[in-house]
Amino acid sequence: MPHQCTNCGHVFADGSKEMLSGCPDCGGNKFQYHPSEIPADSPSGDPTPSDGSDADSSTVSGAVGRAADRVRDAVAEADTPADDPTPDDEGDTQSDPAADSPGATAPDADPGVRAATPDDEDGAQATARSEVVDVSTLPDQPTDGRVVEEPDTDEAEPDLEDLREELNDQFESIRIVAPGQYELNLMELYDRQEYIIALQEDGQYVIEVPDAWEAADPTDVE
Amino acid sequence: MGLFADLRDSVSRVTASLFADDSEPKRIGIYGPPNAGKTTLANRIARDWTGDAVGPESHIPHETRRARRKENVEIERNGKTVTIDIVDTPGVTTKVDYSQFLDHDMEKDEAVRRSREATEGVAEAMHWLREDVDGVIYVLDATNDPFTQVNTMLIGIIESRDLPVLILANKTDLDDANIQRVSNAFPQHETIPLSALEGENMDEVYDKIAAYFG
Ligand SMILES: Nc1nc2c(ncn2[C@@H]2O[C@H](COP(=O)(O)OP(=O)(O)OP(=O)(O)O)[C@@H](O)[C@H]2O)c(=O)[nH]1
Ligand SMILES: [Mg+2]
Repeated sequence: MPHQCTNCGHVFADGSKEMLSGCPDCGGNKFQYHPSEIPADSPSGDPTPSDGSDADSSTVSGAVGRAADRVRDAVAEADTPADDPTPDDEGDTQSDPAADSPGATAPDADPGVRAATPDDEDGAQATARSEVVDVSTLPDQPTDGRVVEEPDTDEAEPDLEDLREELNDQFESIRIVAPGQYELNLMELYDRQEYIIALQEDGQYVIEVPDAWEAADPTDVE
Repeated sequence: MGLFADLRDSVSRVTASLFADDSEPKRIGIYGPPNAGKTTLANRIARDWTGDAVGPESHIPHETRRARRKENVEIERNGKTVTIDIVDTPGVTTKVDYSQFLDHDMEKDEAVRRSREATEGVAEAMHWLREDVDGVIYVLDATNDPFTQVNTMLIGIIESRDLPVLILANKTDLDDANIQRVSNAFPQHETIPLSALEGENMDEVYDKIAAYFG
């Protein structure tokens, strides 16, 4: 699954285990999950929603169907340093997070940061990142991560149901049936290495790996 | 990573036993389905022995949505002191639906948010179970049927980890509490009846905590 270091922006390919021992670039250990990143194989700057996943069509878990595959490829090919988010994002405001990611993944762009850049500029990106960290380190905040991105609603696409099915097939631990309705696979949750910090309706979540867990101890909040 | 975590754990345990005169307090997770009375129990234990509370109690399920820890709770039993950290965890369930909160006079937005947080809370509780507890107090509402998927699965996981576990049949102050049904459900474990709300039978609870987790 595509994850990105919230500190330096390093992007990890779908399914990468690398981040479990901390970010190789900066040593950071908080990562944001971007389920909807679409890679560089789509025309750069293509504002067209390509996967139709919308606020309630995504899952929290591992992969995001075809998009994820393409992300993997794109990351493998491009492997660009992630800390210079490309401000080339079109359609953020009118399309959903998943949908606008194609533009984000132009070969020179950082596929991972797209979802965290509501308004496509580095300052915003930085802010978004720091907010992500804040959210995850302030357990009692009612914040649900929407600071990272407003889950936009999007008009359904023809294959939305297909996509949802596909997502849910890959769902392992948490299934979003509809906004506010979840099914949980306790066994899978128990088996998970990483700790989910913030769940978002659009299928994104922020996770913290155990080292950060130890260091920051977000539950120590009495 | 599991290996790494294990390694780190055992290193810190060895270090702890080398440098601490007494071993680290055991971390006891209070687990169970939503609304069983986990927080009520955690608060009672904390108040009895530290004077503090742990978190808010509520008749609305999923009141606890983040694990909360109270450290160094010293429980005195028969002249001996047993020190534990108690962790009040979010109620575990396999389904969260915001509509269950609408009955409780909640706006839809708030209900949806609560269910999202509750879901995160379950993930967190399961994470703690995997990594961070040395023993479990499993709280059940004795007026409810104990034979549920959640209870079976959680007790199974706890057994598979060989964690010491105490089963508490809570809410014995209520007429339809059925302690026998709880102990029949988990015959391999000791079941202790109590009312966390009224403070009934807490002496036995503390005896058993000291015996199991001391
Ligand atoms: N009658 C009675 N009510 C109790 C008892 N213990 C708890 N309750 C009530 O049960 C409700 C739930 O109690 P909590 O302690 O919040 O339950 P919880 O297990 O922490 O619930 P979550 O945090 O939602 O998982 C509250 O209304 C409590 O007052 C008891 O021994 N007897
Ligand atoms: Mg509670």
